[in-house]
Amino acid sequence: MSINLDQVTKHYSGAPVVNDVSLDIGDGEFFVLLGPSGSGKSTLLRAIAGLSGVDHGRIALHGRDVTHVAARKRGVGLVFQNYALFRHMTVADNIEFALRVRHMRARARRQRRQELLRLVALEGMDNRLPAQLSGGQQQRVAVARALAHKPEVLLLDEPFGALDAKIREELRRTIREVQRELGITTVLVTHDQEEAFALADRIGIMNFGRLLEAGAPAELYSRPATRFVATFLGAANLFLARRTADGIKVGATIMAAAERTPGAPEHEVVAVVRPEEVEVAPSRDALGSRFMGYGVVDDVMFTGAFERLRVRATDESGAPLLAFAEGDANATLQVTRTRYAQRGFEVRTGQTVAIGVRRLHVLPTPLSSFTVCAVSAARAEGLSRQALLAELAARMKTRIGLRIEPGLGVPEAACEAEGAFVGATVIAGEDGCAQRAEWLLQRGAKDLLVLPAGAQAPQRVLIHWLGDAARSATLGVSASVLRHVPAEAVYVGIVAADGASAGPQGMRELLDARSEAQAAHGLEMRTELGFGDVTQELARRLAEAPASMLILGVTDLKRFAERFRALLDGGAWPVLIVQRAAS
Amino acid sequence: MSFRKPSVLPGFGLTFGFTTFFLSAIVLLPLAALVLAAASMHWSDFLRVVSSPRALGSYRLSFGASFLAASINLVFGFIIAWTLTRYEFPGRKVIDALIDMPFALPTAVSGIALTTVFAQNGWIGRYLEPLGIKVAYTWLGVTLALTLISMPFAVRAVQPALLEVQRDLEDAAETLGAGRFYVFRRIILPTVLPALLTGFTLSFARAVGEYGSVIFIAGNLPMKTEITPLLIVIHLEEFDYQGAAALGVVMLTISFVVLLAINLLQAWGRRSRVRAAH
Repeated sequence: MSINLDQVTKHYSGAPVVNDVSLDIGDGEFFVLLGPSGSGKSTLLRAIAGLSGVDHGRIALHGRDVTHVAARKRGVGLVFQNYALFRHMTVADNIEFALRVRHMRARARRQRRQELLRLVALEGMDNRLPAQLSGGQQQRVAVARALAHKPEVLLLDEPFGALDAKIREELRRTIREVQRELGITTVLVTHDQEEAFALADRIGIMNFGRLLEAGAPAELYSRPATRFVATFLGAANLFLARRTADGIKVGATIMAAAERTPGAPEHEVVAVVRPEEVEVAPSRDALGSRFMGYGVVDDVMFTGAFERLRVRATDESGAPLLAFAEGDANATLQVTRTRYAQRGFEVRTGQTVAIGVRRLHVLPTPLSSFTVCAVSAARAEGLSRQALLAELAARMKTRIGLRIEPGLGVPEAACEAEGAFVGATVIAGEDGCAQRAEWLLQRGAKDLLVLPAGAQAPQRVLIHWLGDAARSATLGVSASVLRHVPAEAVYVGIVAADGASAGPQGMRELLDARSEAQAAHGLEMRTELGFGDVTQELARRLAEAPASMLILGVTDLKRFAERFRALLDGGAWPVLIVQRAAS
Repeated sequence: MSFRKPSVLPGFGLTFGFTTFFLSAIVLLPLAALVLAAASMHWSDFLRVVSSPRALGSYRLSFGASFLAASINLVFGFIIAWTLTRYEFPGRKVIDALIDMPFALPTAVSGIALTTVFAQNGWIGRYLEPLGIKVAYTWLGVTLALTLISMPFAVRAVQPALLEVQRDLEDAAETLGAGRFYVFRRIILPTVLPALLTGFTLSFARAVGEYGSVIFIAGNLPMKTEITPLLIVIHLEEFDYQGAAALGVVMLTISFVVLLAINLLQAWGRRSRVRAAH
């Protein structure tokens, strides 16, 4: 392995900018770090280069731990977005800089310089000043300079950012060729997905300082695991579908019979449909693929090779199909059609079309949507506007539903709202909410968020579960939440005060939890060990830092309200309860 | 090459006219009057006045102390500018504003303040006295006063240039294997060198012309701590206008030669860099 990152974390004024990133990059691999601005990708690159230290974690280059090694001794080459050429030096002096530092003889220097200039196709430019070169040429010089000392790793920080489209493509090809020829392990940072596709052997996608997914471009595009990756890497339509015994159901139609899961309880899932996998036709019968619903064409845009449509889509009963909240500007179905399809069926704005889907991908994410539950509609609506909830729903690109339960919290009262609990249920975190939480959990709510009115985005999420049956689900839900908030994740293992002998077991549980979170859910988390009563220990740790949140897995509901009253009542912290019964 | 070059803003003729008029009225005419006044002297009288041992001693002190003051400011002005541009710390704005204080203070006040501090019984002077260091009423005091009043020029000239040095350049040099001293010598210094020279020139020019602050701390012993501007004033007080003008012409000439030399040096530095490109 060329580059090993192990739980690399970097904070700026308290907030994690790079959050528990672990990654292995192979010899000669071209790895692209892709993410929106502020996702921590550049900070991570600078950490690899040694220009900014890390607060936690280890960095190894070619098996050598360089976490505390200065940048100049790491043997990396770095290329900057703004070229960062030494303006008072000629091209030759720029390229020879690293060689001069190493006291190489003039003749050897000249020879190496000629070699590098040939490599980046700039022969004969030796005596120019940077100011006399075009942007593309300057960046070529910067690449040659970064390669002069034969570094083992080449790092590129948005190297095409300042160039126009045509030059960009040319330079992209040059860099790819140079990388192939030298076989040098390369990490490139960009926010441009097209660039990532064009260059990468593997892409790693970052958001809020976390590395969400890493994989081959085609694999990530067709089989993303998270909503963020699905929507950031190309365009995607997100649907709230139901996983039933017969397959994946969108609205009333079964879309993917292949994904049959006999015996499993029906539940809501998030499905991704790429715009090119959507088919439109004049009528249901004319569709070559599975019918999903009808829609009205909102917008037709011609882009040359393709035509882009925006369609307001509803299922047969008229309910909106997409996962987005109603009124959201993105709540239209995106469709791209080839010239061939356009010739077969011409579409105009305002036209009603039948919609079919050729391929649908179900995300493994467990938090599909939110349903706010309260005793009256007014209260439910009030809670649905809570800042943190609205923020989470927007980031997850999902909707917030309402569920009115006048009997909420009254012992013996039955559910009045129809149907099973959908997605995560949300109740207000206030006095008496432990009772209400128990009431909902007993009546079938699986994931329950107890949300205090003043809750803010958490900076630290504590994770704990009671009973092994809840472990996997709790980790899955935690991973889902942590992809959408810039917070650090801490698993708290708690050893009962009386069981001194449970020590080693507690430790093993801790390590198992960490590796399972990493392997099965792509979640990197810290682990801490506590002692004593679970409720007291969790409350103490939650109070330690501001803006904490708890994700608590439970298996049995015996004396639930009584046991966890100290954590829930009073609404000091948001608590997400994950209930999975032991089988 | 044409004399007039197209520009975004019109009105070359008008602005050039104003430039020559203002330069003539405010700079050239008074200087010409000075030279004329001196020219009315007999050649031997002129030589006697400007080469008297007292005059020679004053040149040495004036230009020597100014050169020293400008050199001190070159180093410390750079360090101050570096601190102000590179670091965020509480009170940075206050210190930044303090730099300009010597501009605003009447120079006589600076002189009196310095004397209070560095006189034999002053706050600092009384501790230097036992060590055998005398500041007030020696050339040291003169240099100190000149350093104080010319300091802002050095800082303000270097500050913008330092802001221009991108951190990326230093980062790039570091990843290429350069140590801190190497980065400073090869990257930072060459970039700010023109600004440093400008700061030196301005400091020097300001120090040579200084009068107010120096006379309080210098003690004004002929041959030892008497600066040329003071000697000129002494001539004036004796109604020897021609003698004063003669000394003025000498100062003017030396200053002009020094400033011209520095400017040529700068131009040569720029040219040699461009030459390297072809």
